[in-house]
Amino acid sequence: MKLKKITLAAASLGLTLAVTHAGIASAADSTTTDAKTQKLEEQIDSLAQQLNALKAELNQVKAQNQAIVAQQTEIATKVAAPSPMENLSLWGYGEAYYSQPIHDNSKSQADLARAVFGIGYRFDDKTTFNSEFEVEHAIASSEDAGEMEVEQFYVDHQINNSIALKAGLFLIPSGLLNLKHEPTNFFGVQRNFVETFIIPATWREGGIGAHGDTDIGIGWDVGVTTGVKLSGRDATTGLKAETALDLGNSGAGPLAATHQELSLANASNLSQYLALGYKGIPGLNVGASVFTGKAATQDPTVNLGGQRVTLWEAHSRWTPAKFDLSALYARGTISNTGAYNALTPGAPNPTPSAFNGWYVQGAYNVWQNTTYRLAPFMRWEYYNMGESFSGLVPGFEPPQAGDRSLSDHVFTAGLNFYVTPNVVLKADYQTFSINEDLSRLELGLGVAF
Amino acid sequence: MAAVSPAYAVTYLSLDQAQALMFPGALLTPASKILTAEQVAAVEKGSGVRMSSPQVQAWRSVDGGWFLLDQVIGKHELISYALALDASGVIRQVEILDYRESYGGEIRVPAWRKQFVGKKSGAPLLLDDDIKNISGATLSCRHITEGIRKMLAVYATALAH
Repeated sequence: MKLKKITLAAASLGLTLAVTHAGIASAADSTTTDAKTQKLEEQIDSLAQQLNALKAELNQVKAQNQAIVAQQTEIATKVAAPSPMENLSLWGYGEAYYSQPIHDNSKSQADLARAVFGIGYRFDDKTTFNSEFEVEHAIASSEDAGEMEVEQFYVDHQINNSIALKAGLFLIPSGLLNLKHEPTNFFGVQRNFVETFIIPATWREGGIGAHGDTDIGIGWDVGVTTGVKLSGRDATTGLKAETALDLGNSGAGPLAATHQELSLANASNLSQYLALGYKGIPGLNVGASVFTGKAATQDPTVNLGGQRVTLWEAHSRWTPAKFDLSALYARGTISNTGAYNALTPGAPNPTPSAFNGWYVQGAYNVWQNTTYRLAPFMRWEYYNMGESFSGLVPGFEPPQAGDRSLSDHVFTAGLNFYVTPNVVLKADYQTFSINEDLSRLELGLGVAF
Repeated sequence: MAAVSPAYAVTYLSLDQAQALMFPGALLTPASKILTAEQVAAVEKGSGVRMSSPQVQAWRSVDGGWFLLDQVIGKHELISYALALDASGVIRQVEILDYRESYGGEIRVPAWRKQFVGKKSGAPLLLDDDIKNISGATLSCRHITEGIRKMLAVYATALAH
């Protein structure tokens, strides 16, 4: 019995203990739940914040998508809308000078020498039309020195990847300057004298030609064109020039006044040309060309035996590192000038049998970034518009007293500063060995686009 | 790989031919992109060349390289060219696809295009400086050089990461 009581007591105690323990445990559980709730609340807050951030990001992405869709639509619209302007090209170039003779400031002149605009049209994948229209010296009228000229007007048709044909009024591929005569393409305010007097840049003729280039860098151009008409020269007036600017504009070169530019050109005799070039090594350009043909018949009643006019030249341009070096030699001949000059005995400006010129030029890119470029240069050139004559009155040799020498050495030093590759400011100083008083200081602005 | 460029006067390579030539036997996946205004601004600032369109015509090779197609104006006609970059953005090859100008086609001379091989974003890529000019084809040379400078900036801005 006693044992039973003890057992009961123990059980009772155990129960009590258990109840007490349960009471303690219950209090502890309540504390934990509060903490958890707080933690959950914190987590919910954090999630809400994250959700808000995501919402903002989503809105941003949506806006970006809308912008991209708008851009795509704009592009699609641009691509889809056909325009008659699509096949049209417009371009242009021009140059203005200030030229100050060193010895006589009163003869300083400023001139908008050229303003040229080009229009091209692509008819299809193979056929294009190119034209250039030029106003020289700003105003072209009967009272002004200026001229309005069609400089190019031709159609080019691609036969295959290596041969194209052209027909119309186009540039003769002679020398370094003639095909690339925009002011951004040459050093110095003015074009050099050799490619003005000996090669009559901008030299163009009417005719047909074929041209092409190969992937080893050989280019070729061959054709048949109108040629020279000797009566274009005035034999009765010697070379007069008050300033170097006058000299450059004088048209004194043997071919300057005699090439016909497809202006009611006498086409009784045609000329032929061939030009070859090699550009297979980066930075190197070597080439040569010849242009030859009988001069247009002067007067069918007088038999002059026919004058063949030939001009050949060889040129090279090399641009190692920051240097730009070029050299050119050109020589022209006219056959049977004896008979021709005999028509105007003693005239001060006879037609030469031979004429020639050369230059060497070096430039260096002193400074260049993606926009600007500064390149000083030096050029030494020689021209002789009367290397030899025949049929002259014995004892007479041009120039006559009071006329300018037909030959000279000209040294030019200056710089080209490119504001963009399309806009160039130029300055140079030029001295003449024989016509010393022509030495000058020049400033120029050139634009090409 | 539909033809992206229209048929031009002189097509030296079609798009498929250029891809086969520059990534022989490799699978190219179209990866063209439209850059955001910020990316366009970054490319223009980095290269000094204006982007005429935010669209970038790109393909990705399995080895991580890139085939990029671009058009530039020669004198006044479009030239289409392609650029092959390796996985680190270094130029492996440049090819001319289409050329429309009457003159200046000498840019397809391999020796001229080889000057670009090994260049990557950050190289000067200036004509008459680290890239030699072809006299008589100056505009084509300059515009291809600028185009490549632009495409390397596109790579650095939008494709490299």
